[in-house]
Amino acid sequence: MNASKALEKTLVASPERKLEADADLSVVRQVQGGDVAAFDRLINKYRERVLGIVYNMTSNREDAADLAQDAFIKAFQSIHRFQGQSSFFTWLYRIAVNSTLSHLRKNRLRSFFSLESIREDDPVSRELLDALTDRTGVGRDAFVRELQEKLNDAMQKLSIKHRTVVTLFEIDGLSHQEIAEVMGCSVGTVRSRLHYAKQLLQAELQPYLR
Amino acid sequence: MKDKERKIAVEDLLRLKRAERPPAEFWARFESEIRAKQLAAIVVRRPWWDGVPRIFAIASRKHLPLGAAAALALTWVGVHYAEGPSPAMRTAPAGPAESPALAVVPAAAAPAASRAALPMESAEIEAARVVPAPRPVVASSTSHLTKAPESIPAESVSRSPFGDGIAVTLADFRETQPDIAQRDVFGSDREFEASVASDRQPVAEPLARVDPSGDRLERLLAPALPAYSSGAGSALSGERLKQRASDDRLYESMDRYGSGGMSLEFRF
Repeated sequence: MNASKALEKTLVASPERKLEADADLSVVRQVQGGDVAAFDRLINKYRERVLGIVYNMTSNREDAADLAQDAFIKAFQSIHRFQGQSSFFTWLYRIAVNSTLSHLRKNRLRSFFSLESIREDDPVSRELLDALTDRTGVGRDAFVRELQEKLNDAMQKLSIKHRTVVTLFEIDGLSHQEIAEVMGCSVGTVRSRLHYAKQLLQAELQPYLR
Repeated sequence: MKDKERKIAVEDLLRLKRAERPPAEFWARFESEIRAKQLAAIVVRRPWWDGVPRIFAIASRKHLPLGAAAALALTWVGVHYAEGPSPAMRTAPAGPAESPALAVVPAAAAPAASRAALPMESAEIEAARVVPAPRPVVASSTSHLTKAPESIPAESVSRSPFGDGIAVTLADFRETQPDIAQRDVFGSDREFEASVASDRQPVAEPLARVDPSGDRLERLLAPALPAYSSGAGSALSGERLKQRASDDRLYESMDRYGSGGMSLEFRF
């Protein structure tokens, strides 16, 4: 039962997302009606997720901040064209992903990485790090830093589109259908890219896998 | 110890990326920057070319109806121009916007006496009002225009026989009634008509210039038309006729004999 629910969540958007989309649509209507301040609510709601997707695609926190801001500004400027055919969240993600893809294509040869530190106050990450190493103190910090760099290197070896699919699915938790909407491709293409990207990552991160 | 035995997959490692988050102070700066950009977006007007990709996007989304509409429009334009002007346009009377040659006609058809009675300047003003389009070559001056006969169309005015006729008529008129011709009835360019016949290049059809009684014509037409064979060049053309008749006779006699396969034919 749990497996089927997880599979359904993987394939299509969850009901919570649909409720969220309805709530967003009412806020969007307010903004379209001239209530500019209502857009701040949308910014506060989605800023971490938008920054997360852009950061994991670029691996550069400064670029990620600029691109996330630009995505919100573009959404604000074009909000009168939003008709509610897709959810606001998907629409905003599409803007952010397209801006980031365009930025990455322009700066293909110029790549500087500046990574955020992994916050161990998150129970999931702490549990995972405990499972990976029994070291403490400085040794643990060095191991976490090394693992982070290896992860980043493995992600950067993927093509931009494969990296985007992995980021949207594994890190941000979007369904295949939502990723297909965001990237403007079919669900089959999303699955294919995801499968290929995971194979490559598995080969790159083999020393850390059990 | 149990945790150490836990299986770790790629998905677990990627989950660590979720924990890469900026510190709290980052969001304060982020908020102030995005507010400034938002205000700038409200105040600063977007350039017109920002809408160009949107137009292309709409066109690409609705390419089928747009293509159909374009094809219909092209078809309509093609049919419209293939049929020519509409019947209403074809039957419409010639207005002031017609071609200059046609526009001259009302001016030339006006009574010559009333035009002659007008002073020079008022006649010019009236001519300019009647004929707004550029004048044809013939209408070099107002007085000449007033002298054009009433019943002759403008296109025939440009022909040299007509110009010759005018010159001859005016010369006769001056000889028969010199007292009227002395008055300044016809305007200031009285000498124009005398020079028309000599100066103007003939514009008529080339065949009209052919003199039927010329020697060259007679010589050229003699082999084809026997009526032209008499005269001075008849000796030469007669020889040619004989030569041609003998040639024809030879060819005709050769045609009487035909051979096909093992047979020989004689035709009479």
